[in-house]
Parts: sequence; structure tokens; C-alpha cells
Amino acid sequence: MKQWIRWSGLAAFIVISLVLVALFWFVAGPLIEKGIESFGSDAADAKVEVDSVSLSLSPLGFVIHGLTVADSRKPMTNALQLDKATAELELAPLFLGKAIISDLAVDNLQFGTARTSSGALEKKAVKEDEAEQVAAKEETASPFSSVDLPSADEILARESLRTEQAGAEFEQSYASHKEAVDQALNNVPDDKALSQYEQEIKALTSGSFKSLDDFKARKKKLDELKARFKNDKAAIATAKKAVAEARSDIADKLKALKAAPGEDISSIRGKYQLNAGGAANMSALLFGDQAGEWAEKALYWYEKVKPYLAEDEAGSAAEEESPKAPRDGRFVHFPSDNPWPGFLLRNAQLTASTASGNLLINAQDITSEPRVLGRPTRILINGSGLKQVEDMSVDIVLDHRKTPGTDTLTLTIKDWQLHDMNLGVAGAKLASSLVQVQGLAVVSQGKLNAQSDAQFGRTQFSSKGKTTFAKELGLALANVQQFDVNAKASGKITSPDFSLGSDLDKQLNAAFGARLKDKQAELEAKLQARLEQKLQGYIGDYAGKLGEFNQLEGSLDQRLNKVSELAGQNLEDYQAQKEREAREKAEREKAAAKADAERKKKEAAEKAKEKLKNLF
Amino acid sequence: MLSMLAKLLKALNSESAPGQIALAFSFALIVALTPMFTLHNAIILLLAFVLRINLSAFFLALAAFSALAWFIDPYSARLGESLLANPALVDTWRDMYQSDFWRMTAFNHSLVLGGLLISLLAAVPVFVLSKVLINLYRHRLLAWFNKLKIAQVLKASKFYNLYKSIAE
Repeated sequence: MKQWIRWSGLAAFIVISLVLVALFWFVAGPLIEKGIESFGSDAADAKVEVDSVSLSLSPLGFVIHGLTVADSRKPMTNALQLDKATAELELAPLFLGKAIISDLAVDNLQFGTARTSSGALEKKAVKEDEAEQVAAKEETASPFSSVDLPSADEILARESLRTEQAGAEFEQSYASHKEAVDQALNNVPDDKALSQYEQEIKALTSGSFKSLDDFKARKKKLDELKARFKNDKAAIATAKKAVAEARSDIADKLKALKAAPGEDISSIRGKYQLNAGGAANMSALLFGDQAGEWAEKALYWYEKVKPYLAEDEAGSAAEEESPKAPRDGRFVHFPSDNPWPGFLLRNAQLTASTASGNLLINAQDITSEPRVLGRPTRILINGSGLKQVEDMSVDIVLDHRKTPGTDTLTLTIKDWQLHDMNLGVAGAKLASSLVQVQGLAVVSQGKLNAQSDAQFGRTQFSSKGKTTFAKELGLALANVQQFDVNAKASGKITSPDFSLGSDLDKQLNAAFGARLKDKQAELEAKLQARLEQKLQGYIGDYAGKLGEFNQLEGSLDQRLNKVSELAGQNLEDYQAQKEREAREKAEREKAAAKADAERKKKEAAEKAKEKLKNLF
Repeated sequence: MLSMLAKLLKALNSESAPGQIALAFSFALIVALTPMFTLHNAIILLLAFVLRINLSAFFLALAAFSALAWFIDPYSARLGESLLANPALVDTWRDMYQSDFWRMTAFNHSLVLGGLLISLLAAVPVFVLSKVLINLYRHRLLAWFNKLKIAQVLKASKFYNLYKSIAE
């Protein structure tokens, strides 16, 4: 038997084994350190740095000192930082290359701490800068950053007013018609000319014709006058037409001008949303940024973890597709209370420092092979010692034992004392409130379905904004004592649709709407007054002149009548006049004879009457 | 590599027991046909160091069998897979799975189980066959080979000088 034993070989095996153990002992720490930094940086998309890693034999494990994980979105901030992490390893699985950590204790975990140097990976640095610039641009371009109601003068100064346009059209119309009317009136006979016409007509038509030549001469003159009358009548008709057109067009323009201020008010009202509807969904305006920020943080961490949750699913799917065993073999797992996945963190206790106090985080069964483990990963976050929260619990269950996996988050916050919560609109703050929150989020097949209800009680708001909007918002918020906010998120986990609803909308809508309505009425009255001034500016100067058109039309009618009357005068026929004169002469002689006979008869009667009187 | 080959030839030509060389071949076969970092391979390596087997033959055979393993591994893995899924054996595997020791042996790894089974089954024939062949080589083939002209040429080569320096 002795000749079969090679003692030197045994010694060599022991020496080699010891050398390997020693080598592992000295090299493992730096190797783990580099591994964490390299693997962590890839996973976090930002620098992961470790001060040192040391191994311990009893219990078997390692201690990580000073771990920082930079925030890939904010390179000068750490997404998380811890002072010390102590991990206890199980020995037996190590022989199969399986890292099973029975316990992990983390001290002083902190989030969002400042860095002294940029945590961006070099390849990402440029993109980060661009992303920050875009974010900054979006922030400054926020439609809510300068919400305010402009003054009446500012509105009128920046608007293209219909009143001004109609006023200009009115002025132009008046000027052009005035010129046309004046031109037409130049050809119309005035009162003096009409008087002269009258005298001329009288001279021509009165008195006896001295002779036939006299008759002919008068006739010629009369015909000439009639020809002039005809022209004058045409001129008067033209002038009348010009005046009528002027009156009609100017009346239309005046009508448009008078209606223009109303149109302007209507247009401005629609454009500046001077109605209560502008206050709709105010809760989304107030809490949208805050809710978005929280959701963004949650999704950031979920996106970091997701690839490792889905790793096993992908492997299982591949196995199902290809039943053939891989050439390098695979582990076949059987039901057990103590399964060995490739990586498993059985229990982790973390204390995290946040601005609101310490959080106790307990994680169980974190693994990349949940099917092997047979249990879902569970993370419980408890904030019972928080400064402003009576009790807070977050229960996260990452269940990827079956395909598709389902991740669930249940959130409960009891008696959350909110102070000075910046609402992000017009300097408004939620000065204080007692909030109760219940939330549930489920992610499956890359789709998020989340809902949370928050009840805000004993609310007090403050507003330091100087703008009209801020003041009005402050007054509206002062009337709100309590409200609920319901947040929903659904759709793709990478770009979910967020919606916020609240009965705050109704309350604000009523309060803010009433205030806004008053302001609207006030502003509208100012606008109306300004527009009225403008209107009078256009109409006022022309008011007297517009009356002239009416008088002018009447005057033209009179002149036309006069001219028509004069034009209707005719000379008597020469023969007829002579016959008429002879007839009149005979009648006059006959009448004289008759009168003489009557007189003589009367004188005879008087004489007889006198004689009779003398008799008595 | 040449040095190792020379040592193998020395062992084949020397007074080393054929069983020592044949056992080296058998051990190498087991290590080659199963994944390297397993508990049984650690034990095989310990045995290879502690027992007076021919280490040169062991390492040379390990290299040769490893090349062979490249072709055999898919079949080994399939065999291991079928054994682990065999309903008649599942209870046994399940019981073994509850023990940390058996888990450390990686018996539930398809290539380990399949490769180990094939190599264990083949180890005995390899041991016997290689022992017979070594004896045949020493008593008949070596004498006949030494008479060949090619052997004379080889003896004049650099490799032969190396072999001779080791053999002496």
C-alpha cells in the first residue's frame, strides 16, 4: 500500500490548495471591488465606486466599505450611497459557483447625496449634458411658469382690434364718399341760381308779347333755360345718388364699427380664457410636477432592476422553445426548502437615511432565478420613525416565477403631516395638511397599471405670488379645507400615461371660477370702456357731418322740385295770347258797361228814394 | 508539451507499472468528460497527486480526452437530462437534493451526471485496455519499432535527445 502513496504529491496538493486559498484571500477583495464597480456601472448607467472590500472567515462573507452609485440623470448626485454593507455567504453553494448571501446588513443608506465629481460614464457625458439642457429648456418653457392676467391696456395693445379696423374702414368710406358727393354737388344749382332762374322765368312768362319777335325771343330763352334745367336735374339726381350711396355705405360701416367692440370683447375672452373653464383640472396643474417627479424616481429604480427580474423569464422561455439540453449542461432543480439559484440574497436589512427620517428596508429572496427559488422577491419598506409621517409602509412583491411576471407595489401612508409643499404654480404652497395615502401599482408584461388615492385634510395654503393669477389662486385656495387626489398611471412602463383627478378641481373651479368671473367682468368693462373710447374717437368727429348728408338729401329734393317746377313753366302761344287778350278786353268792356248800367240804375233809385223822402 | 510527451514515452518504456499509467488514463477520462470545477474532480485530482500514478500520462490523457469531450458533451448532457427527468429516479434525486453534500457534488447538473456516468462506465474498460496495450507495446511493439529505419531517424532527432535526457 505504501508504495502506492506519493507523499510528495499529497504535500504538493496541499501546498497548491493553500496557495489557491491564499491567492483567493488576497485577490478576492479587489476582484469583488472591481466586479461591483464594473457590473454596477453597467447596470446603473453611471459610475459605481467602492472604497474597499474585505473578506471575513467567520462568518464567511465580505464587507463593502463606502459604496456610491451615481444617478445617471444627475451626474453630480448619488442615486444611493452607503457606509458599510456586511454580507454573510453560504459556503456549500460556493463550491458550485453559486453566490448565496444569507444575510446582508447595510448601514446608513442614503439617497440623493451630492458628489464631488461627476458620476457620468464618459460615453454618456455628452448625452447627459444634452438631456440636462433639454430638461432646463422644457422647464423654462413651462406654460405655467408665468401665468398672469394682462391689463386691459396690455391686451388692447397686443391685439389686432376689429374696432380699429372698422374705424379705419369707416373713415376711409366717409372720406371717399364725401369727395364724390362734393364733386356731384358742384354741378347742382344753389339757392342763388334757383332764385335767378325764378326771376328769369318770371320775366319771360309775365307780360304781353310786344310782337311776334318778342314772343320768339322769349321762347328761345325759355328753351335754353329748360335745357339748363334738364342738366341741373340730372346733376341733382347724380348728387342724390351719390348722397344715397354715401349714406348707405357709411351706415353699413358705422354699423360694423359699432359692432366691432363687441366682437373684440368676444375674441379676447376666448383667447385669454377669461372663463371658469380655465380653472379645470387645477389639481393636475398643482400636483402634476410633484406626482411626476415621484413616479419618475420609482420608474428609474424599476428600470434598473427590471433586466434582472426578467433574466430568468428569458432563460425559461428559451428552454421552452428548445427542449434540447445545452451542450454545457444545466442544473435541474427539485422542490426544496433550500434551493440554490445562481445568486440569492435571502435576507437584507437596510437602514436608509432620508430627509424625512430613517427608513427600515427589509428585502427577502432577491434572486435572478425566481423559478428556482420558488418564492417571489419581497421588499418591505417601513417608515414608522419618520418625522412627518405617523406610519408608512411599502410592500413590493416581484413575482417572476411564471411568465409573464407580475410586480406589485402596495403603499400606505398614515397621517402624513405635509408642510410647505411647493405646488409649482404661481408661488402657491400647501402650507400644511394631514394626508392619508393608499396606492397600488401592478406591472405585468411591461404594462403599468397604478392607482393611488390621497386624502388631504386640514389644508392650509399660502401664496407669495405677485401676479394677478397668483393672488386669485391664493384667494381660491383659501376656501379649500380638504380635498382628495386620485392619481392613475397606465400604459407602457417606459412611457405611461399619467392622470390626476381631484375634487379639488370642483372646489377650485367654483371658487377660482367665481373670482375669475368677477375679474372677467371687471376686465371686460374696462375693455368695453376703452373700445367705446376708440369708437367715439372714430364716430364723434363725424356725428355732425353724418347729419349733413341727411339735410343734403332733403335740400336736393327741394331743389329738384324747384327746378322741376321751373322747368314746367311754358310761354303762352302768341295767337292764343292775342285772342285771350281780345276776349278779356271784350269781357272787361262788357263788365264795365254792365257796371255802368248798374251804377246808373242805382243812382236813379237813389234819386227816386230822395224825392220820396222829401215828400214827407 | 514535448517534454510531457517524452515523459509519457519514458513511462511507457520504463519499468513503471502499466497499471499506474492505465489508472492515470482512467482518472483523466473522468476529469475530461465532466465539468472541471466539481467536487468529484477535486477528489480525482487529489488521488492523482497522492497515488503513484503517472502524472505525465494523466495530464497528457486529460488534454486528449478533453478534445474527445467536445464531441461527447452534448450526448452526456442529454443522458444526464434524461436521467434527472426519469420518473423512476426522480424521488431519489429529490431526496439527494435535500442534502447539501449531494448538492455540492452537482449531481443535478445534466453534464456532470451524464459525463460522470459515461466516464465511470468507460473508466474500467479504458484501464484494462490501456494496461493490455502498454504491455503489448513494451514486449512486442517496442522491439519491432526499434528495428524500423524510421526509428533510427527519430533517434537522431532533437525530440529523441530530449527524451533521452529525461530517461537518463
